[in-house]
Amino acid sequence: MADEAVFDQLRDAIIDQDQDAVLAKVEEALGAGIDPRDVISKGLLPGLNVIGERFECEEIFLPELMQAALAFQAAMAILEPKIRELGGDQAKKGKIVLGTVKGDLHSIGKNILRLMFETSGYEVYDLGIDVDLFKFVDKAAEVGADVIAMSALLTTTLVGQRDVIEALKGQGTRDKYKIIIGGGATTEQWAESIGADGWSANAYDAVNLVGRLVS
Amino acid sequence: MKFAELLTAEQVKRVHEASLWVLENVGILAHNPRAHQVFKSHGCSVDDDGLVKFPPAVVDLYMKACPPSFTFRGRDPRFDHTIPDDGPAFVTGSSAPNVVDPLTGTERRATSADIAAIAFLINELDGFDIFSISTLAEDAPAGQFSLSRFYPALKNCLKPVRSNTPNMDDLRQVLKLGELIAGGAEAYRERPIINHHYCPMVSPLTMDVDSTDAVLYLTERGLPVYTTVVPNAGLTAPMTLLGTLVVGNAEFLAISVFQQMVLEGTPVIYASLPTVADMRSGAYAPGAIETGILAMAQAQLGRLYGVPTGGYIGLTNAHSNDAQSGYETGMNTLAAVTAGATLLNTGGLLSSLMAFDFAKAVIDDEIALMNKRVVRGMDFSEENLALNVIAEVGPGGDFMKSKHTKSLMKTTAVLPRVADRGMRAHWEQNGRPVAHDRALERARSILQGSNPAVWSSELDERIRSEFPGIVAGDALPLGVPLA
Repeated sequence: MADEAVFDQLRDAIIDQDQDAVLAKVEEALGAGIDPRDVISKGLLPGLNVIGERFECEEIFLPELMQAALAFQAAMAILEPKIRELGGDQAKKGKIVLGTVKGDLHSIGKNILRLMFETSGYEVYDLGIDVDLFKFVDKAAEVGADVIAMSALLTTTLVGQRDVIEALKGQGTRDKYKIIIGGGATTEQWAESIGADGWSANAYDAVNLVGRLVS
Repeated sequence: MKFAELLTAEQVKRVHEASLWVLENVGILAHNPRAHQVFKSHGCSVDDDGLVKFPPAVVDLYMKACPPSFTFRGRDPRFDHTIPDDGPAFVTGSSAPNVVDPLTGTERRATSADIAAIAFLINELDGFDIFSISTLAEDAPAGQFSLSRFYPALKNCLKPVRSNTPNMDDLRQVLKLGELIAGGAEAYRERPIINHHYCPMVSPLTMDVDSTDAVLYLTERGLPVYTTVVPNAGLTAPMTLLGTLVVGNAEFLAISVFQQMVLEGTPVIYASLPTVADMRSGAYAPGAIETGILAMAQAQLGRLYGVPTGGYIGLTNAHSNDAQSGYETGMNTLAAVTAGATLLNTGGLLSSLMAFDFAKAVIDDEIALMNKRVVRGMDFSEENLALNVIAEVGPGGDFMKSKHTKSLMKTTAVLPRVADRGMRAHWEQNGRPVAHDRALERARSILQGSNPAVWSSELDERIRSEFPGIVAGDALPLGVPLA
């Protein structure tokens, strides 16, 4: 029963988006000998689920979703090494290479996306902003990516997304990856026209999209 | 007119000081190495990461070099427009990837033929002063991304044409086009008819590489170029209007000072697209009223610096020509012009800059005319008090019969073409057309005619032989299916 109380407190700390409380409760749980995998699955993740539901019905706003996810991420930084010490590993759902395309310096949407993917259990390689097409192509090959995700906010830089897909086709490696695009300048029609595998209006929905694509 | 003001003179001064504090203590992160040199050699400090710090005296010194006005030039000098002197300039919104097809009503990728038609339409709509190239051109041949936009735009419009280019190759190509139109490099330098625009400042407090290159290149050559700052409260600026004003103002000061360092006396515009993000989802909200509020405050700051102001004011998030589209465009432009803004990148775009709609442009033309009428105001004069006419007609009389009425009936009020002032029964008989239907009809009737703005076939030949494979660049009547 004591464990149950700790899980409830972990869950509530995530729901309250209170990073200090989350970290304190994580330390407390580990001190009490609770398995770090249970800390995640029985405490933190149920909290994130509530956050997600509340965000979807506009009960909470984007900064609250972000801050809960950041608290979760901070907790994971403590928990993941512990899990490895125990000889286990938090299995990753997949590898994602992401970035904002060439000529475009807008990072906020891409950063939200990275956070959403990381908190959903993906291994993320963030190439940053103003990313040359070869960087996408090379990094994806190097890490054996499952997904390439490209953002563009400026309509004049949009074509960079098509360029990457064309380059992969040229190499004969297009089908090795699922490619998704997003960002303020993009539409579902654009995604279809350049042969992307998916498009998402926002970072939150992108997690579901990738879940469908890589499952 | 006496301008509407949100801030006291003291408050304006405090926002200026706060912006100086940001520039001196927080700084601007500049990614362009050539920009580092410019800043370093003119009194700023630049660290190894490219963080630029501005001593307040340096900012004040170079801001004093900014001229009070900015001139947009068109192919026909009669359409040249200087702000603020010539009053508010209404401009189309720019660079949308899509167009709402006038035949099917569905959104599709825009082409160079769309740009030609839009240029023709804007040339004919009196409310618009400047054509900012509204869309991209999906059919652009390789290596002609910008040429496929500027060529159809300039070919079909005598009014000033304004837009951007994504890289230096495109910029040089577009300038070559300008020189061909002007009849040589020297003639072009005298009357540069391409009005360049870039967003080198990326909020918060960052300066990019490519657009900075273009601004530097054009400023060095004395060619017309201005920039827009785009702070977004909650995402790239603080969650207060005042904090967002400070971030945007610091960015405007940084880029203006940069341009003066490159060439003192370079004309600038305090142009902005300030927004407050919809924090429920993070959605971009350029049609929200807060954009108008911030534009009002920026107009006051612009007067402090002695430069014209405005920006992307009057955009909408709406996806169709509905009530939302009308009230977002109408309320924001009205707020801005009453505060003294004279650049309004307003017209024609739906879905927050994603799609051009012909009928929306026609409605925005009417909104522009209404705004200009507000700025014209009361036409105050002894004569306009009309005391002799009041006395002549007397109690219970009829002003219809007065010559005074006849002489002024076409100029006192805006005579709208889209707004319906008929009786309901008549409207019902006509099949209940909404504003969108009436506006689309007007666009159709304009585009059915031939375009008097198109240049000579000799000039066209010269251009086409210079740029093999260039798009046709001709406007088609609306509703003709594209090949």
